[in-house]
Amino acid sequence: MAKKNRVAIVGVGYSDVSRGSGLTLDKLTAQSSVAAMNDAGIKPTDIDGVVVHSFPHQFVSSTHTAAMLGIPDVAFYSGNVDGAAYSVAAMHAIAAIASGSAETVLTLRTVHKAGAAGGAAMLGPQRGIPGNMQFGMPYGSFTGSHWAGMYMQRHMAMYGSTEEDFGAFAIAQRKFAVANPTESFFHEELTMDDYLNSRYIAKPLHLLDCDYPVDSSSALIFTTEERARDMKQKPVFFDSWANGTTAEADFSLVRDMTHSSPWMASKRMWSRTDLKPSDVDTAGLYDGFSFIAMQWLEALGFCGEGESGAFVRSGATSATGSLPTNTDGGACNVGRRHGANFFIEVTRQLRGTAGDRALPNKPEVGVVSNAVGGFAACALLTAE
Amino acid sequence: MTTEVLPPLPLPNELTAAFWDGANQGKLVIQRCNACGHFQHAPEPICANCLSFDLGYAAVSGKGSVYTFCIPTQAFHPWFEDKLPFVLAVVELDEQPGLKMITNIVETNPDNVKVGDRVEVTFSPLGEGFTLPVFRPAAQ
Ligand SMILES: [Zn+2]
Repeated sequence: MAKKNRVAIVGVGYSDVSRGSGLTLDKLTAQSSVAAMNDAGIKPTDIDGVVVHSFPHQFVSSTHTAAMLGIPDVAFYSGNVDGAAYSVAAMHAIAAIASGSAETVLTLRTVHKAGAAGGAAMLGPQRGIPGNMQFGMPYGSFTGSHWAGMYMQRHMAMYGSTEEDFGAFAIAQRKFAVANPTESFFHEELTMDDYLNSRYIAKPLHLLDCDYPVDSSSALIFTTEERARDMKQKPVFFDSWANGTTAEADFSLVRDMTHSSPWMASKRMWSRTDLKPSDVDTAGLYDGFSFIAMQWLEALGFCGEGESGAFVRSGATSATGSLPTNTDGGACNVGRRHGANFFIEVTRQLRGTAGDRALPNKPEVGVVSNAVGGFAACALLTAE
Repeated sequence: MTTEVLPPLPLPNELTAAFWDGANQGKLVIQRCNACGHFQHAPEPICANCLSFDLGYAAVSGKGSVYTFCIPTQAFHPWFEDKLPFVLAVVELDEQPGLKMITNIVETNPDNVKVGDRVEVTFSPLGEGFTLPVFRPAAQ
């Protein structure tokens, strides 16, 4: 079905990415923005929208970003601290362009390693724990690793999955990372022993299930199909997209941990397209913790419920499998980009700019996803 | 000089104070809607079931089952440094399907805990005048 008002990705870019360059959030944001503009072959005056998503304590506003870049006047801007990380910025930009509110929108996710994982730092200077966190922190529930360990345990109890299943994902993803030496922080393949011997953070969650904290900024530029046709890169199009949430806001208290928000977002996304899971050639599935990508494999219908471990162990997510997944190495290896790296990598694969890492199946349709638990988002991207 | 490590203490407010007061008296109390009887945790200013603002607290049986758990082995707050490993769990209370709370499972070897285990509330002093409702394996 021919879609009207299609939105295209026309530029992608990263800042310097490191474990502590000392670069400010502002500078990282400016670096990735310039990289994305150079990739798209456009100037600040070509941009009329800016959308950002970040943690409240790491916020660089959309209007400040526009001012730094010398964008004279923005028709659409939004600064977000709620929901599914980078994809919130993407969804706002898509909606703005599809509605005619703006034509060419810069989207951003900037994150500093320090303080990004929660923990005691979230308590701040006050002595008591405010709000509903007071029903978690006194019990020792501080970071994502705690709910992540509990999601894994629930999956293991419901479906008989094992730590080796999660390990298989970490191993498969690392293979892609080794093939991406300029972006990955890790250059050696993993064995199952490496995975199982990595220390627990919150058993059954291992250190190697966790994304790698870095200072980074990621930027993508979206525009209309009409404008995209005249730009430097082959455009990649959004075919469909959706958010999903659970009735419970607290990740630890969602009704069904093995069917959390990725299931709602996936169902909604598939209802908005003629494409089917079997049409998808590559996937970029959020791996803040490895089990999250595995919940997405099940939610998106690439394997049966509870069968993500067997699916990964079959080799399906490898470069020569039916669904090469996280082909840049994922955030466990290229560092925490809060979802933006999947939009960037799937774009590079679909438009044919992945270089040595170009997939043998010449992908034409890709899926990207972000988050889990209380809120999530996903999108289908197409090469034409 | 050593600095005393304080536990992560709740900051009670008009919505949450009854929970902590109840725990100090050895009772597990959960917010309940006076209009429709719906329990909700954590407490909110409105009932998500019927939109009533008429909310109170009611004692529950303290019986439930382990929905899931993990065993933290790294402290993300100094208070937990000497308490590792422990069981961080979500317990589903018997009173209402899906009524769950974050808690600890105590009085058992962490490696013996299983999803679905029957548990009952008990109370553990946190310090500074606060008591934590926690759970232990249910008596047979
Ligand atoms: Zn009610």
